[in-house]
Amino acid sequence: MSEIIQNYWQAWLWNDGYHLSGVAMTLWLLIASVACGFCLSIPLAVARVSSRRWISGPVWFYTYVFRGTPLYIQLLIFYSGVYSLHVVRSVDLLEHFFREGLNCTILAFALNTCAYTTEIFAGAIRAIPYGEIEAARALGMSPWVKYTRIIIPAMLRRALPYYSNEVILMLHATTVAFTATVPDILKVARDVNAATYASFEAFGIAAVLYACIAFALVGLFRLCEKRWLAFLRPMGH
Amino acid sequence: MYKLTVNGLHKKYGQHEVLKGVSLKARAGDVISIIGSSGSGKSTFLRCINFLEQPCAGEISLNGELLQTVLDKKGSQRPRDPKQLQKMRTELSMVFQHFNLWSHMTVLENIMEAPMHVLGLSRAEALQRARKYLAKVGLTEQQENKYPAHLSGGQQQRVAIARALAMEPEVMLFDEPTSALDPELVGEVLRVMQALAEEGRTMVVVTHEMGFARNVSNHVIFLHQGRIEEEGHPAQVLSQPKSERLQQFLSGSLK
Repeated sequence: MSEIIQNYWQAWLWNDGYHLSGVAMTLWLLIASVACGFCLSIPLAVARVSSRRWISGPVWFYTYVFRGTPLYIQLLIFYSGVYSLHVVRSVDLLEHFFREGLNCTILAFALNTCAYTTEIFAGAIRAIPYGEIEAARALGMSPWVKYTRIIIPAMLRRALPYYSNEVILMLHATTVAFTATVPDILKVARDVNAATYASFEAFGIAAVLYACIAFALVGLFRLCEKRWLAFLRPMGH
Repeated sequence: MYKLTVNGLHKKYGQHEVLKGVSLKARAGDVISIIGSSGSGKSTFLRCINFLEQPCAGEISLNGELLQTVLDKKGSQRPRDPKQLQKMRTELSMVFQHFNLWSHMTVLENIMEAPMHVLGLSRAEALQRARKYLAKVGLTEQQENKYPAHLSGGQQQRVAIARALAMEPEVMLFDEPTSALDPELVGEVLRVMQALAEEGRTMVVVTHEMGFARNVSNHVIFLHQGRIEEEGHPAQVLSQPKSERLQQFLSGSLK
């Protein structure tokens, strides 16, 4: 056990001698995909609740496809499937992008978490009492002000508990990244296992590392909820 | 010169005609009470004035400026220029039955939001306005950082009145402002509204409070089945009602 830690601690935490690996790589995968997914999902959620079919329909289709298929298959499609297409290989920019396993992984993860986040945010928009939106209109707010000042801030707060859940599920979902040769925590664990045959220790350490990250995330979201969800807390009169 | 004129307002929900040509004229300082049984169309009428509901026909002008409208496919009026409607709404601020405060904002944020982001006031100016109107509705600075859910119904409605006042509107619209309140909280809201009336603010109030209609307003409109059945000075309309409907309505309301 102590030998494994001594020989591999750098690879576990941040560098395997060639590139970013282990915890640092897992965190990078998580942050990059969650950040992209978050930014994309806000306009998509607004479109998703639109009463106009031609706006909400395509978003519904996108979230349906990405929530209806396994992430693992999505990753395989982006990593090997897309690259096998002639079109992709003949365009320089696409060729460069899809040749890199890390790019494919982040793209697949971002689109996947974006689909779930869009549905979470759309649900939170629907949960805003209609009177609050009416009040915004009645005070002369333009649609832009109404969305940016009232609807989206209210939506983000209400979505927070469900969103924190999605981020932690995403952390655990990053374990499929090794398929695309990304050296995340699980990849290091597999290398250690292959080199030492100490399976229990190798995967046990990986589990502990994931648990620590998840624990930190839960703590972080608790702090956010304390700050931004105070308005929902019951208070004795 | 009238501050607010509404001319021949019609509103249909499908085949059902809720408003069959209702008109209203308000001079500066007028306090107009709209009374009537539920289903008479009084709330719909008020909500049509600032286009929260779209009327099918009729004209609305504020300070002599007519709101330009076009008919859409469903036969409802839409503003020709949404900017004109937005501007008109800032001068016609509304107080709702269910307060409709933004629940994720504190009292102060609720009041400062529209002055800052609609009227373009600076934070300092908006804060000054917010404190001024909070004091006017009788709330202390201890309450200004609370969230709406942590206030009583009467306090929430007073915050909503302060939020409407902070727009410094030409006309204030009140949609049954005391109907969602516990009986013992009604008084504090009515007292604030009476003070506003005495200041000379122009108000249109949909209400069930006959005491308010009689003592505070200078004009009463009785709506029945989408038409004005009777209107006039409260002393006359409420004490010597001519129409049978109004006599029935008043005898049912006890006060």
